[in-house]
Amino acid sequence: MTATIALLGQPNSGKSTVFNALTGLRQHVGNWPGKTVEKKEGTFLHDGKEYAVADLPGSYSLTANSDEEEITREFISSGKADVVCILADSSQLERSLFMMADYAGINVPSFLVLNMADVAEDQGKKIDAKALEDKLGIPVIQLSATENKKYDMFFEAMNRAIENKSLINISGLKTELEKIEGFTKLEELIPDGSIENYSALWLSAKAIENDRLVIDKLKNTLAPDVIKEVDGIRGAGGGAVSTGNSKFAWIDELLAGVLQKKDDQVKLGKLDRMYLSPVWGKPAVILTILFGLIGSFIPALPFMGLGQAIGGLKAPIAEALFSAGVSEILITVICNVVLQSFSYILQMLGFVFGVVLVFGLLEEVGVMARISYVFDNSMAKLGLQGKSVMPFLISFGCTMGGAAGTRVIDNWGQKVLTIALAWAVPCGAAWSVIPMLASLFFGPGAVLVIIAILLTMVLHMWITAKIFGRKLVKTGERYGMIMELPPYHKPKWGALFRYVLGRTKDTFFRVSKVVLLVCFLFWALSYSFVPGTDPILFKIGKVIEPVTKVFGMGWQLFMAFIASSVGKEGALGVISALFNDGSFYSAFSDAMSGAGVAADLNEVLLSNVTKPEALAFIFAITFNMPCVVALAATYQETASAKWTAKIAAYYTVGALVLSTIVYHIGLLIW
Amino acid sequence: MESNRMNRLIELLGDGHARTIRMLADELNTTESDVMRQIDYLEHIRVIRKVIGDGAPGNGCASGCGGSCGGSCNGCPSGGGNMCKSCMPDGGFKNMGQMWELVK
Repeated sequence: MTATIALLGQPNSGKSTVFNALTGLRQHVGNWPGKTVEKKEGTFLHDGKEYAVADLPGSYSLTANSDEEEITREFISSGKADVVCILADSSQLERSLFMMADYAGINVPSFLVLNMADVAEDQGKKIDAKALEDKLGIPVIQLSATENKKYDMFFEAMNRAIENKSLINISGLKTELEKIEGFTKLEELIPDGSIENYSALWLSAKAIENDRLVIDKLKNTLAPDVIKEVDGIRGAGGGAVSTGNSKFAWIDELLAGVLQKKDDQVKLGKLDRMYLSPVWGKPAVILTILFGLIGSFIPALPFMGLGQAIGGLKAPIAEALFSAGVSEILITVICNVVLQSFSYILQMLGFVFGVVLVFGLLEEVGVMARISYVFDNSMAKLGLQGKSVMPFLISFGCTMGGAAGTRVIDNWGQKVLTIALAWAVPCGAAWSVIPMLASLFFGPGAVLVIIAILLTMVLHMWITAKIFGRKLVKTGERYGMIMELPPYHKPKWGALFRYVLGRTKDTFFRVSKVVLLVCFLFWALSYSFVPGTDPILFKIGKVIEPVTKVFGMGWQLFMAFIASSVGKEGALGVISALFNDGSFYSAFSDAMSGAGVAADLNEVLLSNVTKPEALAFIFAITFNMPCVVALAATYQETASAKWTAKIAAYYTVGALVLSTIVYHIGLLIW
Repeated sequence: MESNRMNRLIELLGDGHARTIRMLADELNTTESDVMRQIDYLEHIRVIRKVIGDGAPGNGCASGCGGSCGGSCNGCPSGGGNMCKSCMPDGGFKNMGQMWELVK
């Protein structure tokens, strides 16, 4: 064998392409001894001489951070390689020359191949390889490794490096490294050859970097008092950050006059000029989200139609079952629990489908990353990331959509906190109840009630962030973020729909379990199993009324409050029936079926409910648990029954505390 | 180029604000490609870590604890703030760009 060549370079520097081009079929692949890292070796003939080639594992540098880096270092320092071919990517020399800078100081001959010359040329970059060779003192060539016919320069550089035993001129690097406090002293303490094939400069740099293998070997080589002094110096040396600074500075010095390129500052496109503007960024992002929210109703419509169709099947199915002699109790379970639940679930699922589709699309085209960036600093005040703003805005339409929207938050604690705060945002169902009740009791003053609710929402979120944030978001967890915004691109519709359908299906199965369970429970509590007797819920209501009065609600309002936990739209139907001495069960069922409110509800309410009670009730249902579907979505997203229960309990108690406060304020006013 | 450029970048990250690569380049009076190589290096020496990138979950819980962290990535013995499967939707994060944060 004439010589052994080791190919050294960062991942994607083209090592494997060079290796394959040199060896063709004369190669074999295995594993490095004791490691799971792939070992590729081979041979090639040139000018009648046979050479061996080792494709060293791709690694960022030569610091002992990984198996790949340790193997690479071990191979080079063992003297198995006669020459090392260092590969760098010509299209990003400032980055990829780092391996060469980290190699400088190892006393094994080398030459530098600036690979992917064609890509660099396409980018308008001009590289003066000869000038770089003069500065480095080793052969330097440009190559497009994929072009097999252009390897003559490679062989010529390889032979020169072997013949001249060319080592990298490290004087420039030395100058930069010696700017590090104590580095010169360290070079004196660690002489050349303390470890075979490594210079004092290389070993000193690695000592500063706290390189584990170098430190261990030096401990075996140097006297204890010297090691103590070395430890003292390297502790103050600034670590790998300072040597990294020195190496990059040296690379820049090397490339001065060698690399010519166009200005690499990318101009911002029109969209980014708007989204990233300190003035227009937030309004633009809010408008984008609002349009997205409105747009999400369109794909939801077919689901809603299907849900209503299932609800419409209740009467004919009940009739058919009755004709077939099925018992009344079973008919009501099938129709008023099972069919009704699925009707409700499908209608809500439409919204989830729409939200996931529209916001998945925004993510796919690159807008979501901008939204996240624009709100990052504002959300930081609540201990959250910028991305949290989306679930909040979605929650104005549907809290379940908001909970589902937290899937873009990667930190679990922040995700749970976001959901907890999103619950404070009144959803679409709440907005269908609040204005109606507020205008009924307070006339033009309803505007003030709505403003008070919005202000309470902000206060609620702030308090909730303080309470839950302590456990969910650790102190000091919040650091500045670097964001590489993705380029805008066309969506891949197939992948997007697969994702959306997958999420919708997943949500359907999980939510169905919870909704069926809760609906069955409410049905059972409100059903008169013994004819002529009151349902359990009625009995409970009478017993607890002394307590519910403290919250500003009679037992009927309190039952409506409980019903609002299942779905806010159910609350009005419940109070309508109860104040009319109607059946709680049928009122609840009708309300959940989407039946209208009793025609005389206004009169019923005004004659039975005082203004303070009405105000207390409005606040109670607005800030109560949003609905069982939101509860199920919360469990799905947090994957924690404990935290789902905590949030639900917090909102239930919080709503009652709020209603108590509001009721007593109301008593002072009226 | 300044000789302590990466120290300045780390200092900037300590203030809690989010910045794009371009903004960092402006503040550090350098180019975006220079910032990118500093990020590469700081990630390699584990001063910063990738939070989200290329649609792939982080290399924390998923491989380290097998989800035994109960969904709490902060409690993950191997991740320490990285993402685990329960924190990441399958197929999500296709185009959120890349984000890095300081390792505590």
